[in-house]
Amino acid sequence: MSVEQLLQTIAGYLNGNDIFTVNTLGMYWDGFVNTVQLVFISLLIGLALAVPLAIGRGSPLKLVSKSIWLYTYIFRGTPLLIQLYLAYYGFAFVPGIQDSWLWFFVQDPLYPALFAFTLNTAAYTTEIFHGAIKSTAKGEIEAARAFGMSKAMMMRRIILPSAFRRALPAYGNEVIFMLHASAIASVVTIMDLTGAAYYVYSRFYAPFPAFIFVAFIYMALSFSIQGFFRHLEKRLLVHLKPNNR
Amino acid sequence: MADKAIPLEINDLHKRFGDNPVLKGLSLKAHKGDVITLIGASGSGKSTFLRCMNLLELPDAGEIIVHGDPILFKQTRQGREPANWKQVELIRSRLSMVFQNFNLWAHMTLLQNVVEAPIHVLGISKEEARERGMALLGRVGLAERANYYPAQLSGGQQQRGAIARALAMEPEVMLFDEPTSALDPELVGDVLRVMRELADEGRTMVVVTHEMDFARDVSSQVMYLHQGLVEEAGPPSEVLLNPQSPRLKQFLAPNR
Amino acid sequence: MIDLHGYGPRLFEGALLTFEVAVLSVILALLLGLVTATAKLSRSRLLHAFATLYTTVIRGVPDLVLMLLLFYGGQIGINAFTDWLYDAFGIDIFININAFVAGTITIGIIFGAYMAETFRGAFLAVDEGQLEAARAYGMNSWKIFKRVHFPQMMRHALPGLGNNWMVLLKTTALVSIIGLADMVKIADEATKAEHAPFLFMLPVAVGYLAIASVSELFFKWLTKRYNVGFGET
Repeated sequence: MSVEQLLQTIAGYLNGNDIFTVNTLGMYWDGFVNTVQLVFISLLIGLALAVPLAIGRGSPLKLVSKSIWLYTYIFRGTPLLIQLYLAYYGFAFVPGIQDSWLWFFVQDPLYPALFAFTLNTAAYTTEIFHGAIKSTAKGEIEAARAFGMSKAMMMRRIILPSAFRRALPAYGNEVIFMLHASAIASVVTIMDLTGAAYYVYSRFYAPFPAFIFVAFIYMALSFSIQGFFRHLEKRLLVHLKPNNR
Repeated sequence: MADKAIPLEINDLHKRFGDNPVLKGLSLKAHKGDVITLIGASGSGKSTFLRCMNLLELPDAGEIIVHGDPILFKQTRQGREPANWKQVELIRSRLSMVFQNFNLWAHMTLLQNVVEAPIHVLGISKEEARERGMALLGRVGLAERANYYPAQLSGGQQQRGAIARALAMEPEVMLFDEPTSALDPELVGDVLRVMRELADEGRTMVVVTHEMDFARDVSSQVMYLHQGLVEEAGPPSEVLLNPQSPRLKQFLAPNR
Repeated sequence: MIDLHGYGPRLFEGALLTFEVAVLSVILALLLGLVTATAKLSRSRLLHAFATLYTTVIRGVPDLVLMLLLFYGGQIGINAFTDWLYDAFGIDIFININAFVAGTITIGIIFGAYMAETFRGAFLAVDEGQLEAARAYGMNSWKIFKRVHFPQMMRHALPGLGNNWMVLLKTTALVSIIGLADMVKIADEATKAEHAPFLFMLPVAVGYLAIASVSELFFKWLTKRYNVGFGET
């Protein structure tokens, strides 16, 4: 079937449907793009932040480890919605910000949302990695020391590679959790997937089609992510499985 | 006083855990090609002694000299610490260790385990390290297992792999910490055979073991430790076949 | 009471509402979780499939979407049902799906699915020999469940249950989106009126941390209780 034919089939189906028009489907598509963008970027930056934070979380320097612990404790102990509100209102109400160059970022709700989501996922990811680092087998670290590795090299070559692999299942859950949590972006007027669904609901007063449709999109996304991580785990965690020759 | 020809020399080593002194002044001199076996009951300090040699445990007092190169210490409030960790890392890379529980890196294949430290610690090229690694795995009879992960291998295979990993460093002294204690009895033989070959090659080795046959046949010197002190030391023909102290006699009795 | 531009007492009421929603929905979640876990472990294919569908859907869809669906769709659905009852049987009832009911039920249903996974794992973790011994002494299956299986299961389930509770607590913040006056909603209103986000949001954050910390102590105590006979943890 060619693309044209496919579009025609869809158009034909849409003809008889007054809720799922080309117009509303376009909104869902935009929402999809916004959701994926928001989640992907915050996960990416969050991941980059989490690696040094997780290392610091296990630092013998009490000041470093305790302050990182405090950060993760606060961000994991309070609702993301509060963090989103704080980022959204917190910057906007700073006196004089409207006249500064920062206003460009603050007026668009996307940036405060990115800010809050990033800090939130970084906190969770830090704890996931910290747990994985801590559970590195003592003997493997000892062997690294006995072979003359420096602390930095041991971290880079032995501890982190094995910790990342062990953290994979938990991190996969975190990714799906972030996808679901991102639905609250609609509350600060971001037209994400949920925002689009809400618009369609209020426009047609049709909660079932509007929300069930979006639920299926989220489900498809969630299970794709899950499948991706299962695949990664299968490839990267073979070393933990004894004999399957 | 520092003799460059002596691969490893330890003088008057002391170590305590809290209030409990475990090493009360131990010395050892390993000449090139020596195989020194440390025997003794559990708690005698033999493993701690071995682990002090490459500073996995920090000794509280005493000298460690590798090829005439003494490890430098400094006094801090917490006690004695190495003055220069770079020097310690360098010395560790020259004394490679084989552990009781193998301690192969679980996320790496056997070959990756073997080439890891040569490439990243010694700075050998990848191709050369690979080539040498494969040759060493062939030597210990594991060439076909090069791409297996440790969890996919038996204990004996893991330990032979760990010996190949230690050999890949081309160490001046090899330290063995009860290398057969965690193995099922039927797997011990293969590991001991590899160790005998290494001794025959003229490698300098310090071995903590319970295998009295190995100690008798292979070692140039046997040291019997009791409560952190050397009770008897000398060639196996004296120490094992003609023990003097009643404690050593009793220790050896079940093996007769 | 701290005044906070007059919002102090209202924030406190909001906190109580948050707690109320959390406790009611966790009770619902625990019941649903136990039933679903039992269904998943049962030999009935139908029950098993049903339970799996439930937990799979919940794990795939955001909490907020489910809540909006139940809040906005629930009333329409219930009205259709009561209309049908009236037409068919002449029974005249009116059920009102307000934000409190919708919020509590949604959170209960969502966490029921997570609790089910926790309970299932915990039931499976109980040593088969323990149940065999109970059978050998002539206990019937209900007795076995009540006297041996459940108490031993709880020991394995507690860490997971505690975790779920902590997540649930934070999820209650979503009820503010469907208009319920929990502490987040009050802080949101106050922020918009007074333009002082930190003044109102930070106390709410502290409120959540406080409830979480108290819960942690409670779970420590519970863990100790259920760990009787299993040594120190």
